[in-house]
Order: sequence, then structure tokens, then C-alpha cells
Amino acid sequence: MQRDVCLNIPPNHVKMLDIQPHGPKQAEAFVNSFLKHTMPRLEGKDIQKHLRRKAVVLEHAFKKKKKNKKRKTKSLSAKERRQMKIFELKPQQQKYELFLPLHELWKQYIRELCNGLGPQVQPMMIQTKLLKADFHGAVVTVVKSKCPSYVGTTGIILQELKHMFKIITKDDKLKVIPKCNSVFSVEIDGFVSHIYGSKFQLRSSERSAKKFKVKGTIDL
Amino acid sequence: MYSNLEKTPRHLLVCEKSNFKNEKSRHGIHVENHYFNYRVSVLIPECGALPAGLSTIGSSFGKYYLVKNLPVYEIVEQQFLDLCVKKGSFYALSYNTRIDQDNSAALIPAGKLILSVDKDTYEELGLEGQQSQYSHKAVMRHIITIDLTDASFAPGTKKYKRVIWALKEKKPLACDFLMAWHPSGEGDFSLSSYFAKYQCKEHTPSVSTKILRDIPSPVISGGELKGKPEESCDSQEFLDWLGAASADIDCNNEASSFLSTYCCPEPSVVMGQACLWTVTGFLLPEKIYMLLEQLRHYFDEPKLAHWTTLTVHGFADSPVSWGVAEHGFHKGGENLYNFVIFRNHDYWLQMAVGTQDGCPP
Repeated sequence: MQRDVCLNIPPNHVKMLDIQPHGPKQAEAFVNSFLKHTMPRLEGKDIQKHLRRKAVVLEHAFKKKKKNKKRKTKSLSAKERRQMKIFELKPQQQKYELFLPLHELWKQYIRELCNGLGPQVQPMMIQTKLLKADFHGAVVTVVKSKCPSYVGTTGIILQELKHMFKIITKDDKLKVIPKCNSVFSVEIDGFVSHIYGSKFQLRSSERSAKKFKVKGTIDL
Repeated sequence: MYSNLEKTPRHLLVCEKSNFKNEKSRHGIHVENHYFNYRVSVLIPECGALPAGLSTIGSSFGKYYLVKNLPVYEIVEQQFLDLCVKKGSFYALSYNTRIDQDNSAALIPAGKLILSVDKDTYEELGLEGQQSQYSHKAVMRHIITIDLTDASFAPGTKKYKRVIWALKEKKPLACDFLMAWHPSGEGDFSLSSYFAKYQCKEHTPSVSTKILRDIPSPVISGGELKGKPEESCDSQEFLDWLGAASADIDCNNEASSFLSTYCCPEPSVVMGQACLWTVTGFLLPEKIYMLLEQLRHYFDEPKLAHWTTLTVHGFADSPVSWGVAEHGFHKGGENLYNFVIFRNHDYWLQMAVGTQDGCPP
């Protein structure tokens, strides 16, 4: 079988097809280098193994089953959301002043959550409550970041996604800041808390159910 | 047991020879680009008393100032730039800050502010910079370079505002500074009056003279950098001997001396006396160049000596060595250069650096 495959091309075929046949050694060298080039990660021996021992099934090959994630709730998928453009802001609506009432609402919500922020309140309690709270409408500042150009940006959070914050700054600019590798500071009635973005990469809805571990110090 | 001794930290020595009268000689550029100099020492063999020219130059080394706890934004502000930096060469270096542990700052006369900061300060400051060239897997050190003479750094531009905001409000950096100013043209500006609200103290460089007696010295010839086997010594051996002589180490290889078994390289000649003159302080390259010119003219009159040397040491904790090349401290922070001046205006220039340093130009 191998002999038949590796025969030289007969001379009358050569004239008809108008090709220059290689000698047997040249042909072998060409095939080896071609295989090495197309399968760069395998050595010569492995290539031989692949070609000889495995049966190549041409018909009736197994189809790979597609796993569909079962959607539990009747919500839209991310693709549909992007297409409907629910969360896009028009340029006329991109004004900082328009979102100040949202910030006031957020402050009231936090005050209710912590049962009034007075001087006798312990910071630890506020922190535990803030971990489960929603941050839409909070005024946030980037204090520390592995990328120095994010440092100093301040604004109201418009949207909190799994890995990002969408913020509108005082200059009416919409900024998207990744949570990873940054420290954010949130201020409410004189209490300043620092949020380590790398540990906060959850959707706000899922964060209420998550338990956070206590760590001594966290390095960026 | 000796595995620790086998791994010595790397150091580089560049030796080159040329002639002062050669047009392409770059001795001036090398002296100019080594901005922060701590000590200059001159060794004149066969000389019993200090020549007059040297002592006049020694007294004319300008004053330098030590300002305590100066915030860095003060030397970046436009007012200071207009009054001082743009009207001459201004050199500033942070004092008492270790280059491998603390934050250091340096202002070079090209108008660039170089900050060498650790990881936490870089993350909090908010100014963009590059990683240190000598970081390993974890980056611990960043170098921020701000060009103060750039057109985009005019007051009112975004860049200027960002820099001032970062250095003033976000993370105020303050350290002790050594500074000196060399005016170009008519300058009517006094550093001590400008920084009067911080503790500003004036210093003059300290000068010391020593006469060494009966020391063996190697024979060297201007044309042979590598030395000929029986006639003259190698430049590297000469530099070793010079270091030993300046530090007053006995080079006689006595069995009783445990401190040093170093002996003078052969062929050698015993000098009756030699004059070792040292200036220590925050020294400006302009003055060192004047000193070099003075030493060249030492051989205008016939003298017994065949050569003289001028050695300049840099600061171990400076963020830059030559030009803007980054400098670090591994097991030593040396960055020094040495001129060997011969009678016929030939010179050898040897530049030596330690581990965390680029190759000298």
C-alpha cells in the first residue's frame, strides 16, 4: 500500500501535465518539511504516529453536541440588551447636574440602610452594610490604581457592571473605569470607605448574597 | 562554602585614550553629562606642595545649599522655572534618600525632573512613568520623567495642572534637597532668599590636602592602554593602585598585614612624595571642567612627574549617572570617572559603574 502511494509519476504523465517531478529523496524531504511547517508543535516522531496509527474517519463522523445554558429567568441576553440600547445616554442627557438628584436619593437610601449616621455609629457596621449595598448614584473617586492615569477621576456612578464602573464626571464626560487593580473611595456624611476594586468584581445584584473574607492588608 | 564569593555583583569599567588637542575628543561632554558629583581628588606625583592654580580653583568652587523638607512642587512651579531654571544650569538632588528604598528626585540642567518612586507612591501619585530597568518579576520601582522646558508644560495646560495637582494635593512629596545654580549671564537670584521659609543652609565644599611619602607607583606610558609586559602597566591595574593609594592602603604585601595583600603592579618606581588633594561637596561639572583645564596646563612647565590624575566620584543614591541613564544601588552605588593626564596632552579616561547601571557613554 505504501509502495503504491509513494510511486514515481510515470514519464508520459509528466509530459502531459507539464510538471517537473522530484526524485524520491527530494519528495520525502519536501513532505517532511511541509508536515513540520503545518504542525509546528509536533516532532517528526509524533507526526508519524498521528498519520499511521489513527484511523481517519471520513463518513459518519461524530457531531459535537452544543451545550445550551438554561436560562432560569425570563430576562434578555446581553446581545439583545446591546441591540436595544437601553443603557445608552444621548449627548443632551450627559449632564452632571441631571444626576445630582440621583446622588441625593442614594444618600437617603444609605442613611436608611444604616439607621441614621451619627457620631456614635461604628465604622465596622457601616462597612458590612455597604458591602451589600447598591452603588448606583454614589460619588466615587479613584485613589490608587496600577494605571496612573485613572487616579483622580471623580464622578457619579451611572451603571455598575461586573468588571466596570460607568461614571459621569463634573466635566460632563462619560468615563468607563475597570474595577480591577484600583482602589475607589466612597464618601457619605463624613465616612470615607475605600473599596478594593479587584475583590469587587461582581454584579451588584449578586453581591448582596456574597460573603467577603477578612484580610489584613491588600496589595494592588 | 565559597559559592557566595563566586557570585560577585557585576561592574563595568570603560577605558579609553585620546588627546586633549584632538578635535573629536569628548572629554568635555563626559564631564558635562555627569551631573551630580560628590568628590574630586587630584594626585600629583613628585610634588611636595600644592600648585597655586589648584588652590585658587579650590576656593572658587561655588556654594551649594541644603534645603530641608522641601515639597517637590516648589521646584516645578512656573515662577521658579522662569527665575532660575531657564536662566542657567540648576542642579538639585534629594539628600538622605536611599535610591533602592525611598523616593528620590533629581533636577538636571536640561530641565528634566526625574522622580524615582516606589510602587505604592507610583500608584497613588497619578503621574505616568516607566518601570525601572532593573526590576525583576515584581516591579518595585518606577521612574517618572517630566520635561519642564517642554512647550506643552506651559502654565494653564492640562499637563502642568495635572503635575501640580499630583505633587501638591494628591500625594505631597517632600524631601531634603541639595541644590546649586550656575548662572549663564547676569543672574540676580539667590536660592537662600527664595527658599527662606524652609530651612535653607549654605555650604562650601571642603578641601583637604595630603602629602604621601615613599610610595611605590606603577610605570605607565600614554600610548599603551593595555601595557607592555616589562615596560608599563595596564590601565585597570593602574586604577586599582590609584584607589589603594588614595585610601592610604599599604601596598607592600607583608605577611603580618591581614587587611591587604595588595601590592603595587610591576614595573614600578618608588616616588619620593606625592600630593593628594581632595574636594568634597555638591560639585558642579562646570567647575570640574575648569579644574581639568588647569591640570592640563600643569605640564606647561617642566616637571618631574610623568602623569597626574583627576578622579571624580558621583553620589551613590542619585537617580541618574551619565545623562539620563538610570542608576541603582545593588551592593554598591559607585559611578565614577578618572582622567590620567600625561605630559604630551594625551589622556586616559576610565569610567566605572556598579551593578544597576547602564554602560557609560
